[in-house]
Amino acid sequence: MIEVKNLKKSFGQNEVLKNINVTVKPQEVVVVIGPSGSGKSTFLRCLNLLEPITGGHVWIEGSDITDKNTNINEIRTEVGMVFQQFNLFPHKSVIENIMLAPMKVRKVSADKAREKGLELLRKVGLAEKSDAYPDSLSGGQKQRVAIARALAMEPKIMLFDEPTSALDPEMVGEVLEVMKQLAREGMTMVVVTHEMGFAREVGDRVLFMDGGVIVEEGLPKELFENPKEERTKAFLSKVL
Amino acid sequence: MDIRWDLLAEYAPFFAKGTLLTIGLSIVSILIGCVLGLFIGLGKMSNNKWIAFPFNVYITFFRGTPLLVQILLVHFGLIPIVMGQTNAIVAAITALSLNSAAYVAEIFRAGIQSIDKGQMEAARSLGMNHVQAMRNVILPQAFKRMIPPLGNEFIVLIKDSSLAGIIAAKELMYWGQAMQGQYYRVWEPYLTAAVIYLVLTFSLSLLLSRLERRLAVQ
Ligand SMILES: Nc1ncnc2c1ncn2[C@@H]1O[C@H](COP(=O)(O)OP(=O)(O)O)[C@@H](O)[C@H]1O
Ligand SMILES: [Mg+2]
Repeated sequence: MIEVKNLKKSFGQNEVLKNINVTVKPQEVVVVIGPSGSGKSTFLRCLNLLEPITGGHVWIEGSDITDKNTNINEIRTEVGMVFQQFNLFPHKSVIENIMLAPMKVRKVSADKAREKGLELLRKVGLAEKSDAYPDSLSGGQKQRVAIARALAMEPKIMLFDEPTSALDPEMVGEVLEVMKQLAREGMTMVVVTHEMGFAREVGDRVLFMDGGVIVEEGLPKELFENPKEERTKAFLSKVL
Repeated sequence: MDIRWDLLAEYAPFFAKGTLLTIGLSIVSILIGCVLGLFIGLGKMSNNKWIAFPFNVYITFFRGTPLLVQILLVHFGLIPIVMGQTNAIVAAITALSLNSAAYVAEIFRAGIQSIDKGQMEAARSLGMNHVQAMRNVILPQAFKRMIPPLGNEFIVLIKDSSLAGIIAAKELMYWGQAMQGQYYRVWEPYLTAAVIYLVLTFSLSLLLSRLERRLAVQ
């Protein structure tokens, strides 16, 4: 589903990702943890080419996205992304946020897009907010709309970059609940998060990143209870 | 200072005609300036340095040289080359449009760059191409922020259009000078022109602040 080989990424002289190798299988939920600045966001953003890749290869569903001939817009419709800062479109209502990309990119009719959008809003528990504007929503509600917006493109993979880090603590649960439901439905997910409970409960695998490399990976239970690397131990002792 | 009201009454129809031409020049020029400015602004923002370069030169030239010089260049140079002979109104509209386009381009660029980077990323991550993201996500938000500076530019343009009197475009200032030339009066023509300009710019700025308040509520 996702295959990453010898991925390198530099910003100028600063090498942020050094030789990353990861495979994500269909329906797998991979959780990425690690200290701030370790390259987690950059790694995620390389998976849909929001950051141009410096070296190595990334295959999404068999297409090499580093190949110049690959249509990246098409690939991105298969890969949904949820951002820490939500990035909802403030000039559009909730339902318009969700309808926009299916109508413009997939050329779905407005009626179909609205129907699908309302269904997704029910799924994330926000049907009654369809005509509200993003500014009037709480952080948790915004993030659930952002998830619905990404799902409207019917992606095969979902990327989450610290989706709950910008939320007040009491709103974290409602967003994680939506993500857990997605995982149960079999969505392939790569999730950068500090929510260790979530990682344990729905993660099939945890990657620990530090300094632009994957230091250690394993089943959540193994990695949390018996970390092998010193750096993993040090990190976990701070966050657990 | 005693005002000769009889002379003013005589010149009133000319001031009225001049005012209409001033308004017409300004509206046509700001409209052309906006369209041109959008393209120039987008051109300047191109990631390709070779594409951005000529737009940069354009903006630098028109913002860095006096409008009066530009008007004279257009009137006595550009327009005769293009049309065979010159025409004051065409020259005035051309010079004012080209000049305001440079300022509008900078307003567009600033407006677009003021939109959070996350908006473009969210749009692209949904599969929209650059043009779709610009049209549906970035520009609608940027336009709202551009309205106050664009309104400002319009006000500046109304005042600057007075320079067109120099090439005998029969706008407000032209009639002011004509009246002074005919009767050797100073206060009547120039105070009248000043009051009319003030009425134009002041009502425009009232209109703009109402528009801004309306948009702020939305
Ligand atoms: N657009 C950018 N330009 C330059 N450096 C960047 C950019 N984005 C991230 N970096 C650098 O890359 C490193 C990793 O950042 P990031 O991937 O955001 O880490 P994390 O998400 O793990 O906190 C940091 O040192 C950061 O300063
Ligand atoms: Mg990050």
